[in-house]
Amino acid sequence: MISGSNLEQVLISGEFAVTGELGPPQNGNFDVVRDKARILRGHVDAVNITDCQTAIVRMSSLAAGLIVLAEGVEPVMQMTCRDRNRIGIQSDILGASALGIKNLLCLTGDHQKFGNHPQAKGVFDMDSIQLLDMVKAMRDDKKFQCGDEIKSHEPRFFLGAAANPFADPFKYRPIRVAKKVKAGASFIQTQIIYNVEKFARFMEIVRDLGLNEKVYILAGVTPPKSVGMARYMKKFVPGLDVTDEVIERLKGAKDPKEEGISICVDIIKQVREIPGVAGVHIMAIEWEQAVPEIVSLAGLSPRPMPKTFEPRLRSSEAIDLIVSKAMKDAKAEAEKALEQAKAEAQASRDLVLKEKGKISSEVSNLKRRVEEAKAIAVRKESEIGRLTRELAKNRAGQGHVRTVRRSASGDAGKTLSSHDSSALISLRSGLEALRKGLGINEDQLEALKRLFEAESLLSSGADERVTAPFDRSPAPGERLEKPEAESRHREVVSLAAKGNVLLHKNDAAGAIDAFERALAIEPEDKKAREGLKKAKEAFEIAEPSEEAAGPVVPEGIPPCPEGLSPEDWQRKWVIRLVATGNVHLHKGEVDKALNAFKLALELQPDDKRAKTGLLKADSGEAAPVPAPAEPEVPERAEVPSAPGPEIAKVPEGVKTEAKKGPPVTVAPTVTEGISVPELPKETRTLFERADSIQENLFTESCTGAIREVCLGEGEKAVTLGGASTLPFHIFEGDMPRAPQVAFGILDSEPEDWPDVLSRYYSDVFSDPVAWARKCIDHYGAKAICLSLVSTDPNGMNRPSSEAAGKARSVIEGIDVPLILWGCGNAEKDTETLREVTGLVGNRKVCMGPLSDANYRSLGATAMAFHLPVVASSPIDVNLAKQLNILLENLGLSLDQILMDPSIGAIGYGIEYSYSVMERIRLAALTQQDEKLQVPFICNLGREVWKTKECRLPSDAHMGDQERRGVLMEAITASTLLLAGGELMVMTHPKAIALTEALIKGMV
Amino acid sequence: MIIAEQKPLDEILEMISGVERLLVLGCRGCVAVCSAGGDKEVGALASALRLGRKKAGKPIEIDEETYVRQCDPEYLEPLEEDGKRYDAVLSMACGVGVNFIADRCPGINVLPALNTTFYGANLSSGEWAEMCAGCGACVLHLTGGLCPVARCAKSLSNGPCGGSVGGRCEINKDVPCIWHQICEKLTSRKQHQLLREIVPIRDWRPSGHGGPRRRIREDLLP
Repeated sequence: MISGSNLEQVLISGEFAVTGELGPPQNGNFDVVRDKARILRGHVDAVNITDCQTAIVRMSSLAAGLIVLAEGVEPVMQMTCRDRNRIGIQSDILGASALGIKNLLCLTGDHQKFGNHPQAKGVFDMDSIQLLDMVKAMRDDKKFQCGDEIKSHEPRFFLGAAANPFADPFKYRPIRVAKKVKAGASFIQTQIIYNVEKFARFMEIVRDLGLNEKVYILAGVTPPKSVGMARYMKKFVPGLDVTDEVIERLKGAKDPKEEGISICVDIIKQVREIPGVAGVHIMAIEWEQAVPEIVSLAGLSPRPMPKTFEPRLRSSEAIDLIVSKAMKDAKAEAEKALEQAKAEAQASRDLVLKEKGKISSEVSNLKRRVEEAKAIAVRKESEIGRLTRELAKNRAGQGHVRTVRRSASGDAGKTLSSHDSSALISLRSGLEALRKGLGINEDQLEALKRLFEAESLLSSGADERVTAPFDRSPAPGERLEKPEAESRHREVVSLAAKGNVLLHKNDAAGAIDAFERALAIEPEDKKAREGLKKAKEAFEIAEPSEEAAGPVVPEGIPPCPEGLSPEDWQRKWVIRLVATGNVHLHKGEVDKALNAFKLALELQPDDKRAKTGLLKADSGEAAPVPAPAEPEVPERAEVPSAPGPEIAKVPEGVKTEAKKGPPVTVAPTVTEGISVPELPKETRTLFERADSIQENLFTESCTGAIREVCLGEGEKAVTLGGASTLPFHIFEGDMPRAPQVAFGILDSEPEDWPDVLSRYYSDVFSDPVAWARKCIDHYGAKAICLSLVSTDPNGMNRPSSEAAGKARSVIEGIDVPLILWGCGNAEKDTETLREVTGLVGNRKVCMGPLSDANYRSLGATAMAFHLPVVASSPIDVNLAKQLNILLENLGLSLDQILMDPSIGAIGYGIEYSYSVMERIRLAALTQQDEKLQVPFICNLGREVWKTKECRLPSDAHMGDQERRGVLMEAITASTLLLAGGELMVMTHPKAIALTEALIKGMV
Repeated sequence: MIIAEQKPLDEILEMISGVERLLVLGCRGCVAVCSAGGDKEVGALASALRLGRKKAGKPIEIDEETYVRQCDPEYLEPLEEDGKRYDAVLSMACGVGVNFIADRCPGINVLPALNTTFYGANLSSGEWAEMCAGCGACVLHLTGGLCPVARCAKSLSNGPCGGSVGGRCEINKDVPCIWHQICEKLTSRKQHQLLREIVPIRDWRPSGHGGPRRRIREDLLP
């Protein structure tokens, strides 16, 4: 016995051993380790504790090992050479030994490049074999690596090592195991096995070397959690051989997890049959729950009970026991104290109740007093009214109305104050007492007061007198002079009170209304004014945007906003009126335009622009007046009322008008985070801009027109072509249909797309239908171009039938037009595309590329089903024309043909493409070369994204990689659009958004 | 040969931000051979710096000079006086040259224009690869002349790790697994016994972990 560990004992006993694996957390959470250990307890003989696996920083294997040990699970501590030199390693080994760890797995360690600190300096003072050698010498020779003696308590470990039967060179692998055994390994745990056949061959060599006699070999297994995980391991974990069978099994499974467990169990059963395999090492990465099931299904449970097991550190359960006892004691004591406290609390509660009764009787007392005070006040008020009326009557005849009034008011005031002050004081003190008694604050009191006012006013008109004298300063005598004033005033007060009530109910708008009505009757009413101010404030707080969004009323000049001098404001306003006028003019609303210009002229009689506008409007001419830029004057709170948003409301529907329209700045096109601001449109037509130049000097009309080709069917069909002028020369001819962009997708995962492109589609790479759907649903694709690259005989060379099947599912899965683009091999494309048409003959898909090599067979197919085709020719005017002629001779109509002139990316011969396309277009339009009057299709995405410039990573000089690629693609597209391209096949969603914005801004 | 590469231009511009008069000093040794600091590169860098400074609105006066070697005292002699006319000397030699100028010409503000990268060979035009780590304890006789210290990502001594697949290193498919090559070579030479023997843990002192290294040949001392 070397260390006497449980694992050692199980292996010596000849029992088929089971080890597990536990990855410590990337934090200091004790519970995570403990919980994982509890899952594994009783189901494995020992558990490997990884040492920062894949070079990601995690809780140390020593610390986590101790937590596991304290839970009654035996750890196999892993130790790598990546992070510590011989000093650190030996130090940790002494510590682990002191704390009762008995198994040590010696590894070189994953390179730091794979982890989360790739910048770290890898130590690699030694390799795994030298590490084994060193720890063995510490144990057996009682010597440190330097040769110094370990005088006592040398670390005694059951030593293990790893082996990868699937790494290269294959024949060397068993030799390496032999070296590890020689260096001190007593057990070997292998890399994850899926390819059992290869592992069996490895074991054969191991047995030939006699190693099965010297070392216990534990076969490594892992239940795959999903197809994704299996694929990932196959692709990215070096030295891991995941068989296609495993992937197929997972793919076909209803419950991949269950299937993963079943795969794992099957492998365990198979490796168990291989001579020399002493056990299994189950690595259920972050899926420890699966281990008990796997062990039991593999017929390996129950595990033998550990015979000797003595954690040096106390287990947490033992600690729990001590703690719970201490807690019990403490609880008893606490309960005693609690009883006492309860009794005291009861006593004080009684007291409180008693007090409460007292207080409530006081409060009701106070309330009664308030009521009394109110009654007194009402009585007094009516008395005052009577007295003052009498007084006025007495003095009316004396002709000193004014004096009388004044003295009357003075008297009344005096009487009032003397009479009423007592009522008021009693009311106030009553309320004050109420406030104290009920514990309400000032605000609430104020609210209460208003409520009293309001209620009394609303309920009975007479009651208003209670408050009216205090709230209102106008002389009471006025009421005597004009009897109707009385009722008017009453209405004012009642409205004001109503306003207050509404204000309290947060109905600011209603309050404003009430106050305004009050002010309309009595413009000087202070209370109403104050109320209105408050209400307006409240309204602004509640709905700041509503007022701001209010439309500009083009009548008169609105109040000057803060921060502007009245002159500036007027100037600005005139400019706005002119702009508004222009907008109306463009819309053909001559009356409104006239109105706007007139208003502008009223304010600024010599404004030239307004005059011009007026003239044009008068003459009914719907030509625009240059909209001047507003002078930059700092403005606050009135930005939204600027003409911008108003004009922005010009609906998209009036596109034909928008062509000649004002500077339209519509909301940016948003497609899932890919937003491109709309291009500002040129406001003036070329004729206006070339004011002084005669039209015939710069326009040249064309005699030919491009044919229209329709792609797809139904509502989503797209028609291309139709132009009777050079690209975007809309000043001299018609371009009825804007060029379109199709999203280019592939029928298989792209091999060479840079990450900055593939990240947008990587989730749908495996499924062309989902890919197409993503383009349509997320990025708003109006057409799709599916490249059947997988069929390329020089590449994956997938059978035509497979590609045709995929194409069919895409055709059936989408409703926008689809272009099927073959791999470029004439023969294979004929086969594939014919197969597709065989499957979905009646659907109007566009097929391409048709070259001089396969135009006959594919042309016939297209003719049969009347499908549009892409005629692809080498970059040459005559060759393009010749192919069109050939197709036409075959019986195809030119209305079915799109020309692919062969294009290159910017920097890769685009000038040649441009020149050829331009010459084709000139021939078609000015020389009536009918055979060339068909639209262009430019499959540019694939050209752009294979250039070096799109692949170089981001750096200071070349800039951001994605931005670079997007601009390459967008600029290539814009060049080809200017050359006459009607349909762009592109890939990057941002480049497409840019291109679409450009097209929108130009037509 | 010592392989070096020019630092990013922005870093050099930043380095010389306060300098009005600069000497760009090349070396016709290793760095000239690896196209990092010879006459041609001196001219190119000086032009780029002039342009960069002009663009920034702070023109600079730059002289160009290339020495036979910057790591021998006799070639550095003229610099001791000439160098004083400049605010700084931008050395396009390897780190040895920069250090040696700093040692020998105390009055001169010497700056590095290159990053000195490794000891390597010229694989093809424009491509260099590391071949030696200068570890001071050569084991090439045991490894078929291929260095595991310089050319294995983990500097392993006892054969390929488990990440070796198809003769490629796990850290990057473009990096060959040197241990795979060593295995093949030793096997083909019938030296496979070497692969079975445990190579003991290394003494890293000669590789620099024992402090700065110095070599003395008594018979040549003056």
